[in-house]
Amino acid sequence: MRLLAVMMGCAMAAGAASSDTVLIRDVDVYPVSGAAMKGVSVLIQDGKIADIAARIVAPKGARVVEAKGLRVYPGMIDSGTELGLSEISAVRESVDTGELGEFMPQLRALVAVNPESEHFPVVRVNGITSVMTFPASGGRGGGRFGGGEQQFISGQAALIHTDGWTWEEMEINRSAAMHLIFPSRGGRGGRGGGAPPDAVPEIIPGAAGAAGGANAQRTYLDQIAKISAFFDDARKYQKARTANAPGFHRDLKFEAMIPVLEGKMPVGVSASRASAIHDAIAFAEKQNIKIVILQPREIGKAGAELKAKNIPVILGRVLALPESEDDAYDQSFTLPREAYQAGVKFAFGTFNNEFVRNLPYQAATAVAFGLPYDEALRAVTLSPAEIWGVSDRLGSVEKGKVADLLVTDGDPLEIQTQVKHLYIKGKEIALTNKQTRLYEKYMNR
Amino acid sequence: MRRILLGALVALAPLSAATIVIQNGTIMTVSKGTVKGSVVVKDGKIAEVGEKVMMPQGATVIDAAGQYVIPGIIDCHSHIAADGGINEGSVSVSSMVDIRDVLNPEDIAIYRALAGGVTTANILHGSANAIGGCTLPIKMRWGKDAQGLIFEGATPGIKFALGENPKRAGNPQGRGINGQVQVARYPATRMGIDDTIREAFNEAKAYKAEWDEYQAKTARGEHPIPPRKDLKLEALKEVLEGKRYVHAHCYRADEILMLLRVADDYGFKIRTFQHVLEGYKVAKEIAAHGAGGSTFSDWWSYKVEAFDAIPYNAAIMQKYGVVVSLNSDDAELMRHLNSEAGKVMKYGGLSETEALAMVTLNPAKQLGIDNRVGSIEPGKDADLVIYDKFPLSDYAKVQKVLIDGTVYFDRDKEVSGRAAKQAEKQKLIDKEKQNQQRQQPTRRPGQ
Amino acid sequence: MKKLAAALLLFCAYAVAEAPQAVAIRNARIVTVSGPAIAKGTVVVRNGLIEAVGDNVPVPADAWVVDGEGLTVYPGLIDALSTVGIPGAAPAAAAGGRGAGRGAAPATPTVTAPAPAAQTEPRAWGPEDRPATTSWLLAADEIQATDHRIETVRSAGVTTAATFPTRGIFAGQGSLVDLISGEKAGEMVLVPSVGQYISLSRGGFGGGGGGGGGGFPSSLMGTIAYIRQIYLDAAHYQLVKDAYAHDPRGMRRPEYDRALEGVLESKRILLPANRLVEIDRMLRFAAELKQPAILYGAREAYRPEAAELLKKGGASVLVSLKWPEPPARTADSEDTDTLRTLETRDKAPAAPAALQKAGVKFALYSDGIDQPRDFQRAVKKALDNGLSREDAVRALTLSPAEIYGVADRLGSIEKGKIANLVVTRGEIFDDRTKVEMIFVDGRKYTPAADTTAPGGRGQTTDNPGGNR
Repeated sequence: MRLLAVMMGCAMAAGAASSDTVLIRDVDVYPVSGAAMKGVSVLIQDGKIADIAARIVAPKGARVVEAKGLRVYPGMIDSGTELGLSEISAVRESVDTGELGEFMPQLRALVAVNPESEHFPVVRVNGITSVMTFPASGGRGGGRFGGGEQQFISGQAALIHTDGWTWEEMEINRSAAMHLIFPSRGGRGGRGGGAPPDAVPEIIPGAAGAAGGANAQRTYLDQIAKISAFFDDARKYQKARTANAPGFHRDLKFEAMIPVLEGKMPVGVSASRASAIHDAIAFAEKQNIKIVILQPREIGKAGAELKAKNIPVILGRVLALPESEDDAYDQSFTLPREAYQAGVKFAFGTFNNEFVRNLPYQAATAVAFGLPYDEALRAVTLSPAEIWGVSDRLGSVEKGKVADLLVTDGDPLEIQTQVKHLYIKGKEIALTNKQTRLYEKYMNR
Repeated sequence: MRRILLGALVALAPLSAATIVIQNGTIMTVSKGTVKGSVVVKDGKIAEVGEKVMMPQGATVIDAAGQYVIPGIIDCHSHIAADGGINEGSVSVSSMVDIRDVLNPEDIAIYRALAGGVTTANILHGSANAIGGCTLPIKMRWGKDAQGLIFEGATPGIKFALGENPKRAGNPQGRGINGQVQVARYPATRMGIDDTIREAFNEAKAYKAEWDEYQAKTARGEHPIPPRKDLKLEALKEVLEGKRYVHAHCYRADEILMLLRVADDYGFKIRTFQHVLEGYKVAKEIAAHGAGGSTFSDWWSYKVEAFDAIPYNAAIMQKYGVVVSLNSDDAELMRHLNSEAGKVMKYGGLSETEALAMVTLNPAKQLGIDNRVGSIEPGKDADLVIYDKFPLSDYAKVQKVLIDGTVYFDRDKEVSGRAAKQAEKQKLIDKEKQNQQRQQPTRRPGQ
Repeated sequence: MKKLAAALLLFCAYAVAEAPQAVAIRNARIVTVSGPAIAKGTVVVRNGLIEAVGDNVPVPADAWVVDGEGLTVYPGLIDALSTVGIPGAAPAAAAGGRGAGRGAAPATPTVTAPAPAAQTEPRAWGPEDRPATTSWLLAADEIQATDHRIETVRSAGVTTAATFPTRGIFAGQGSLVDLISGEKAGEMVLVPSVGQYISLSRGGFGGGGGGGGGGFPSSLMGTIAYIRQIYLDAAHYQLVKDAYAHDPRGMRRPEYDRALEGVLESKRILLPANRLVEIDRMLRFAAELKQPAILYGAREAYRPEAAELLKKGGASVLVSLKWPEPPARTADSEDTDTLRTLETRDKAPAAPAALQKAGVKFALYSDGIDQPRDFQRAVKKALDNGLSREDAVRALTLSPAEIYGVADRLGSIEKGKIANLVVTRGEIFDDRTKVEMIFVDGRKYTPAADTTAPGGRGQTTDNPGGNR
C-alpha cells in the first residue's frame, strides 16, 4: 500500500516531467566528491545541476520538491552490462550480443540498443542512471548461440543513459571502450554459480576448448600472437593512412582501431586470472594502449602492477561463488577489499542484465567484507565516471554536472532504501515500469 | 581441508555437548517478535528465549552484543549436495529416482550455504521432466555422513515441472552429445504436460487399487501373490495417499492453474509451487487450493516464461493468503537469502518479520517441519544464525551458525584456519613435486 | 635338469608351457601364505595339483627337479578383478578417472572400444526396457585363450584372474580363470560364475547424458533406481515362477526375462565405490538389496571413516592398484588441484595398509595395469605406504580366494590345492626381483620379456599406473 502511494505520487510527478527546472529543497546532499551537505537545496536547470546552496530562491516556473529528510546522491553507473542488447537472455531473437568474427572492432553496441527495452525502466528505478553496454559482456563471442568460436575483439562498448527516446539521445559516449577478450590459459575457467536458472552459462573464452597442459599453453601463446598481429596490422594501416599514399583504401576494421592506437579509446580487457592480467598489461605496454581490466576473478600478484601502471579494474559480480573448492567461501565478497588495499582503481559491473538493478547491493556486500563504505559508493558513481572519462559530467553531485540524481529515503546501497525521485539529464523520471504496472494490475484483481 | 575441518569440529565439540547461552543479542524470533536478550540452548533444542533468562550452570556463553540472532535459514529449493546429476531427464516421469540415494555430504556447497546462514534445504530433482524424482529436506550438518544430513522425520517430496523445461526434450535441437540423432520425448507442449501428469496419475490410481485389493485379501487371510512393486508408481501412490509432498516447478499462470485442476481431479494436493513467478496472477486460486508459493525475490527475464516476473510476486501472493517463501535454486543465491528477504521489504512493503519469515518459518511450513524449525521458540531445534548487523541487508555477515545446538560455522575460526589449510596444501604440492623429480632419472626413455 | 629347462626355454620362445608329469622345486624358500613360510623346503606338483609341500618332503623319482636355491615360491597371484581373456573388453575395471575428489566420476570402467551394443541398443524408456543390461553374460563363455594379455599378465606372476564383462550397468557374471595358454577356453575356467559386475554408468552403451536426449537411466540416481527396481522385479519374478511351478493350472504363464535370470543366478554383486561417500552409499545399497557384495575401487579407503564403515558393513573390498596420478601439466601451469585431490593422490596407496589394520577383508586388483613392471611398482607403492609384504601377498592370493569362495583350492601352497605358483629370485614386488617361472595348473611358464620397454609390444591398455 505504502508503495502504491509512492508510485501514484511518482506518476503525478511524471506528468510534470517536462519541466526543465526543479528545485529540491531542504535535502541532504551526498555528493561523493566531497562531504555531505545537510539541509541544502539543489537546483536543476537545463539538464544540469545549476546550483547547490543552503538557500536557493526558486526561479520562475521551477517545480519545487520538498525533500526534508531525504537525500540526494549521484546517479549510479554500472560498468558492465548488456542493457539494450539483450532482452530475454535465453531467446536468440532477443539477444544482440556476441557477433561472429574474431576481430570486430568496427561493431558498435550503441546502434543495437533498443531504447524500449523493458530493462531500462526496471534498472533505473533503483537509481542506475547510466551503464556501459558491452557487445559481449560475459566474454562470449563468435555468436552467442551459434558456433561459440573464439572471439578476441567483440566491438565497441557504449556508455549510455538508461533513459532516452532513441539511442542517440541515450548516448554518453558511443566509443567508450573497445572490448578485447583476452585469451585464457584454460584450466578451470568459468564463473561460479549465481546465474539464473536455465541461463546461458557464461563461458570464459578459451577455457572450454583448452586441452590442458602444454596444449593449452601453446594455444594461449598462439592466441596472444594473433591479437598482436592484428594490432600490428592496424598500426601499419594507421601509417599508410597518415601517408595517404595513392591507392590507399579505407578499411573499417582498422579505422575503428585508430582511436585505440592513439590512446584515445581505452580497451576493456576481459581477463580472469592474475597471470592473464599480467600478460594483458604486458600486451598493453607493448602496444602502447590504454586498458581497463574487466571482471577479474583475482587480483593477487597483479595488484601492485595495476596500481603502478594506474590501470583501472571493473570488478564483476561480488555475489559469486568461489572458483575452486579450496577457495575461501568469501573469495568474491572480499575481492573489492583486495583491490582497494592494493591501491587499484576500480568500479563495479554486474555483467548480466538481470542483476543490474542489484548493483548497489553488490557494493554493499563488498562493504560487509571489508571495503570502506565511501569506496563502495564511489565505485558505483564517481570512480566509473573517471574510468570512462566522463567525470567532468557525471559521477557526483556538483554544480555544472549533468543532473543524473536520485532522491532517496536513505543509503542507496541498502536494500530497503526507496528511490523517491529520479532525474536523468535533469528530467524527472517516472518510477514505473512493466513490473510496477503488473503489480498494480494484479493487486487489484 | 577435511582433516582441518573435522579438527575444527572436534574442537567445537564441547559447545554441542554443553548448554549454550547466546546473550545480549537482538533476537528475531519470527513467531514471537524481536527481543533484546538471550537464547538458551539445551541438548540441541531451544530451551528459553527472552530478555532475561535463567543462566544454567556451566553454560557456554556466546556474547552477541550488538549482533542479531535469527532462526536458521531454510531454502525450499536447492540442488546442492547431490552426486551424479539432479535430472533423470530421459523419461517424462522419473518418480522412481530419489535424491536420497545420491546425497553427497562432502559437497563444498553445503559449507558455503552454511556460511550464508542456511541450516535446512529442500534438495530437489531438476526440472527436465513433468514428473521428476523424489526429494527430501536436509540439514547442513557439514562433516556428517549422508544419513546424518537427512532431516529426520520430514515428509519426503517429489518434483514436478511445468512449462519450458519439461517440454524442451520434446523439441530436440541438433544432435546429442555422442552425435546421435535425438529422439523427441513426449511431451512437447504445455498440453502434453497436462496429459503426461494425468496419464501418470491414471496409472497410479490403478496401481493403488491393485495394492489395496491385495491388502484387503491379505487382511481376509488369503495368500495372494503380491502385485509387482513399481518404484515409479509407488512414489505417485504416496502422493495420492498424502505421504509425499508435490513441489512443482512452474512459471506461467496458465500452467499453475492447470496443475491445480489436475490435482483436484485426481484427489491430491500441491504442497508448493516453485519459482511460481506468475503466481501473483493466480494467487487466489493457489491460496484456495492451500498450496504454498516458493519464489525468487527479483529474478526475471532469463527466459520467456520469466518475462512477466515481478519482484512484488511474494508480496501479492502473501496478500491473497498464500504461504510464501523465497528460495535460491542456486548454490550462490543460497548464500544470501537473508538479503533476498530484505527485497520483499523494498518491493512489497512487508514488515521485517514477514520478510524474515519468508526464509525461515514459511519454508518450514511448506516443508511440514515448522514444528521443528523456522522460528526461535522453546522446544524447537536450536538452528540459529548470528549476524553482525541487521540481517535483512547485504551489509550483514554471518558470524556463527548453530544446528541442533552445535556450532557448525564460526567465521572467526574459518578465517583464522585458512593459513593452516594453505600450508597443508602447499606441503602436499611440494611433496608431489619432489616425488616427481626423484622419479625423473629412472624414467624410461620414450616416456 | 636345469639345463633341460633352459634348453626348452630357448626352444619355445615363450608362452608354451611345459607339462611334465611331476615337478619338484627343492631347496627353495616357500611362502605358503596359509601357514608359516618354510625357509628351505620342497614343493611337489603333480597332475596340476600340489602333491606335497614341506621342509622334509622327498622328491619323487619321476619328477623334474627345479633347484630352488636362492628362489622363493609363492602361491600364484590372483587378480581379483580383471577382463583378461575377454578380447576387446575394457582394460579391467578401472575405478574412476585420474585424480579424485569431488566431481570425480564414480568408479566406472574405462571402455576402449565401443561395444556393438552401443549401436544396437534401442533407447530405453524406463527400467522395463532393461537398459545397459547383459546380466546373463558369462565371462566363461566369452573367454578366448588366444588373448595376448593372458601371457602379459601371467608374466607378472598372476596365475588366476576373476575376469568380468564390464560393459553396462548389469554387465554380466565374472568367471574365475586360470591363465593357461590353452587351446580350449573351457580348460581355463575354475568357477564359471563368481558374481555380477555392476557399474553405475552405462559404460559403452549408447544414450546417457543428463538431458532429454539419451535413454534411461541418465543419472546416478536413475541408475540406482534401476538397480533397485531390477531386484524388486527379480524377487517378484521368483515368487511368480515358484507359484507357477507349484501349480500352473489357472495361472498365466510368467514371461521369461533373461535379465532377471542373470541377476538371480549371480552369487554376489560387485559394486563400484571409490570415495568415502560412495563406500557409505554402496554399503547401504548392498544391505538394502540384501545381496552379498564386494566393493571395488576403494580409492578413499585410506580414510579412517571408510575403513571403519567397511569393517562394520562386513563387505569385502577390491582395491584398485591404479593409484591416482597427477595430470600432465606444464611447469608454468597455475592450476593446482584441490587439497582433497592432492590428499587422495598422496594417501590412496595407503588404503591397503589401512584396511589391513582395520581388519577388513580385501584384495588388490590390477585395474588395467597389465605390464609386469608396472604391476610390481604399483604393489610396491602399497608396501611403501605401510602394507607389509606378507599382507600384500595375501591380498593377491588367499584373500581373493576367500572372497570368491575358492580358498579350498586356491590361494595358498597346501597339499591338494591347485598348483598355481610363482617362483621369484628375490622377494616378490621388489624392484630388482625377477619372476623366474610360473606354474599354472601345474604347467610351467617362463615370463615373457617385459614389453614395457620402448618399441615393445603393447603398452598397458590404459595409462600405466607406474611411477610416471
